[in-house]
Amino acid sequence: MRRFASALYRAALRALPAELRAAHGAEMEALFNEELDEARARGRAAYVAACAAAILDIAARAPYEHLRLRRDGPREQRMRSLIIDLRFALRSFMRQPGSTALIVATLGLAVAANTAVFALLDGLFFKPFPFPESSRLVYLNETAPRWNLDYTGINYPDFTTWRSTATAFESMAAYGVTSVNLTDGASSERATAGIMTYDLPRVLGVHPIVGRTFTADEDKPHGPKVVLIGYDLWQTRFGGQRSAVGASLRVNSETYTIVGVLPTSAEFPGGVKLWMPIDGDSTAHFQSYQYDGVGRLRPGKSVDDAKRDLYHAQIAVWAKDDTGHVVSPSVEPLRATFAKNFRAVGQVLGAAVALVLLIACANVAGTMLARSIFRRREIGVRVALGASAGRVTRQLLTESLALAALSGALGTLGGEWALRAIVAASPTLVPPWVSLGVSARTIAYSFGLVTLAAALFGIAPVFQLTRLEVSSQLVGGGGRAAGSVPQRRLLDALVTLEVVFAVVLLVGCGLLVRAYANLHNVDPGFRPDGVAEFRLALPAVRYRNGLEQRRFFESVVARLDAIPGVDHAGFVTCPPFGCHWGSFFQAEGAPALVKGQQDPVTLLRYASPDYFATMGIQLAHGHLYAPNEGGSTPGAFRPAVVNEELAHQFWPGVADPTGKRFHSRGDTSSSWTTVVGVVKDVKHYGLSTPMRPGLYFPITRIDSASDFPTYAMVVHTTRDAASLFPEIRRAVHELDPELPVYQARTMRAALDASLAQQRTTAFALAAFAAIALALAIGGIYAMLSYVVGRRRHEIGIRIALGAQRRQVSSLVVRQGLRLVVIGLALGLPLSLLGSRALGSLLFGLSAYDLTTYAGVAAVLVITGALAAYIPARRAARVEPKIALSDGA
Amino acid sequence: MSRPWFFILLSLAAQDRHGSGIMRDVLDLTAGELRLWPATLYGALDELREREWIRALDTAPAFARNESARKRWYRITAQGRRALAAETASLEATLRTAQRRLAHRTESA
Repeated sequence: MRRFASALYRAALRALPAELRAAHGAEMEALFNEELDEARARGRAAYVAACAAAILDIAARAPYEHLRLRRDGPREQRMRSLIIDLRFALRSFMRQPGSTALIVATLGLAVAANTAVFALLDGLFFKPFPFPESSRLVYLNETAPRWNLDYTGINYPDFTTWRSTATAFESMAAYGVTSVNLTDGASSERATAGIMTYDLPRVLGVHPIVGRTFTADEDKPHGPKVVLIGYDLWQTRFGGQRSAVGASLRVNSETYTIVGVLPTSAEFPGGVKLWMPIDGDSTAHFQSYQYDGVGRLRPGKSVDDAKRDLYHAQIAVWAKDDTGHVVSPSVEPLRATFAKNFRAVGQVLGAAVALVLLIACANVAGTMLARSIFRRREIGVRVALGASAGRVTRQLLTESLALAALSGALGTLGGEWALRAIVAASPTLVPPWVSLGVSARTIAYSFGLVTLAAALFGIAPVFQLTRLEVSSQLVGGGGRAAGSVPQRRLLDALVTLEVVFAVVLLVGCGLLVRAYANLHNVDPGFRPDGVAEFRLALPAVRYRNGLEQRRFFESVVARLDAIPGVDHAGFVTCPPFGCHWGSFFQAEGAPALVKGQQDPVTLLRYASPDYFATMGIQLAHGHLYAPNEGGSTPGAFRPAVVNEELAHQFWPGVADPTGKRFHSRGDTSSSWTTVVGVVKDVKHYGLSTPMRPGLYFPITRIDSASDFPTYAMVVHTTRDAASLFPEIRRAVHELDPELPVYQARTMRAALDASLAQQRTTAFALAAFAAIALALAIGGIYAMLSYVVGRRRHEIGIRIALGAQRRQVSSLVVRQGLRLVVIGLALGLPLSLLGSRALGSLLFGLSAYDLTTYAGVAAVLVITGALAAYIPARRAARVEPKIALSDGA
Repeated sequence: MSRPWFFILLSLAAQDRHGSGIMRDVLDLTAGELRLWPATLYGALDELREREWIRALDTAPAFARNESARKRWYRITAQGRRALAAETASLEATLRTAQRRLAHRTESA
């Protein structure tokens, strides 16, 4: 806010003469900032008031300073006339406060919407990342189309191969995100931690505030326990003291030594509080694909060079570990990777606000035109007294520019607030590394827009007025008849244009809202209500193996079951919307894969027996595994529950695959797993994403040789799920006081969060469509009111001559509806073209969805008729005696 | 004489100050009633300099520290003092007249 206010003030200072700015500019800015700081202490209102007062001070003083400092020369004359024009404009605004306020509000709203969206798009797509020469940074990953995966994650040995052979890179690093327990004696918290190869800071180009980064030696298997902390942690835990370096930090119940502090800008990939070395071992084969990578290209190298380079490096990997060439490297510009998810939404929002602006301009042009018609007489007099056409034009342009500047200032402020509101309403919409905020560029954009708008709406009246015939203005009635037909036509055209744009926007909004509603009605495959979810991660030092870990979770379940109102509790390794853990399986008797054949990844989960009842996941065939069914010893019976998608892919055409067997791909032992039950698909990756094959193994398979320290626990209650958390925390605390309960949320909230982006887009578009509708309908209303006002005399005569009042009012309503119908006739075909661009955002809804189009038409006809009704009634109440008066 | 001019001169009559110092002093002098926003303040300072009622100092005074030493400092001139005295005298006369009239009205009421 402070930066924004300063930028605004700096821009405003430009209104002062250059001499004054050169002499005092810096001190004025400094004083302004002092004032702001002081005002901030008195609250937000005082802060805004101080901003406004300081800018008004410039506005009030600037004309005087210009006069004072430029007493001579030809510019003075022009300046003086500008001041006169401005004064005149102000007086004319005062005379028509209602329509002035309407214009400023209309345009201000449109500018606010545009500013907010522009700032959002600027942050997402254009502002450079906070790293030096960030255009040379690329995102690295691996891709496996045959596994049905766009990104597999990077396998550490692959990464080390790349690092040692690739030549197009100056440097590259791998990183991952995990979460850790931070403890300090009494309390414990869960923090997001980055794990990275030692040189990530060097690749990004960031330097520690204090201390150093990791050394290559520290990034080795069983390396020393060292940690880098972020700015936040440094401030909260160590009060920003330099002595933090060398201090110790308890992470996952182990003691780590802090070697340095990284600045906020290094919080890559975002939200990370501390970093630890990956401690990777490049010699072990078949490691999981789990890391992300970032590389810095050598100057002059392109992404394609880098791609070729990594493919070349990958040849060694293919020869050794991946003879099927399943996994290959992927290189993208860093910015493009992170902005990818926002491109479609960004385009739609950008187009929508542009339409809002066009509608606002048409609206304001209409209002200005109506105003200017009322002022024909005044201007006629001025022309008669010797004002040149150019002078009058300049006067009118000054007026529209003044209005535009006022709306621009208000709109920019409003946009800043709107932006904050959007970000606050949906924290997940915008990734944390994006620096949002109204920059000088955004302000320039807003003011560019309003200047454009002023030119647009300023032209219409000027065009009309400069063609004035002096004599016609002074003779008879002030031009009631003169030129009224072309003016009416222009007004009609403007209102029709508004309706056309509003139709396009409403259709787009209608489609998105319906698509969102459809998505909301998709069956998630589980019962989201009454279920609370949270996670626990056990420190390896105290829970040494899979069996100990499992026993602990079973004891938590026993505690949870004892909470009043809880009827089921269970745990799973990988809950919906939360994670992905893939593996490969093959059905008994399935033919061996031929080279190049699709080999989709199966989502693998270990779930406690009561997990299914807790989540309300429905059984389609067979039965669930019993609590003690199965085991981990060789030869033991191994049951599994699979989802319908897996059943369909592994045993196509088999109605009930219970009893069928499968094992891990490439498993040569004869340890088969038997399908005991088939459950309905859970929309694990989000409601709009198709489900992969998935299966559940019983936790009895987990033995002391395995390691599963983290589970998501789920609890079903007949009470309000959110009210369970205090009791859950107490139960966990009694078992292990050092263990934080984290990611605690209801399943309903998790489901809603998975739809956040769609919801925000639909809401934002709905807001824009509402503005568009209000403006278009307001335009119809204003136009008809104006026409009825102008034609009172004629209407009076009609009524005097015996016209029915109903006839008169229906005449007016018909006139309004005619514009709506023309607008629909033009707007609906245009929407058909436009809505195809929504494509992927519609989640399967047809872009030609009849309901939406019919609904939009109905809404416009009804609101249009309502808007016309008020002026129509006014027309019907015209007294016939008005026909006898002069009627001017 | 305009209010900003009067109070700027009055403020400088006590000691040399920089712009932001003047602004704060005027705020105190008027019990918070007159806040000289930057454009008004520096515009007026320029005008007063043009009239040679004040002048800008080449170096900050010895007691100025750090940040304020980098700012431009101002000093009232002899001419400025005369103008301030004249304005004060005129205000005084106005004040006496005002008091007399107010007193007169109270009696007659």
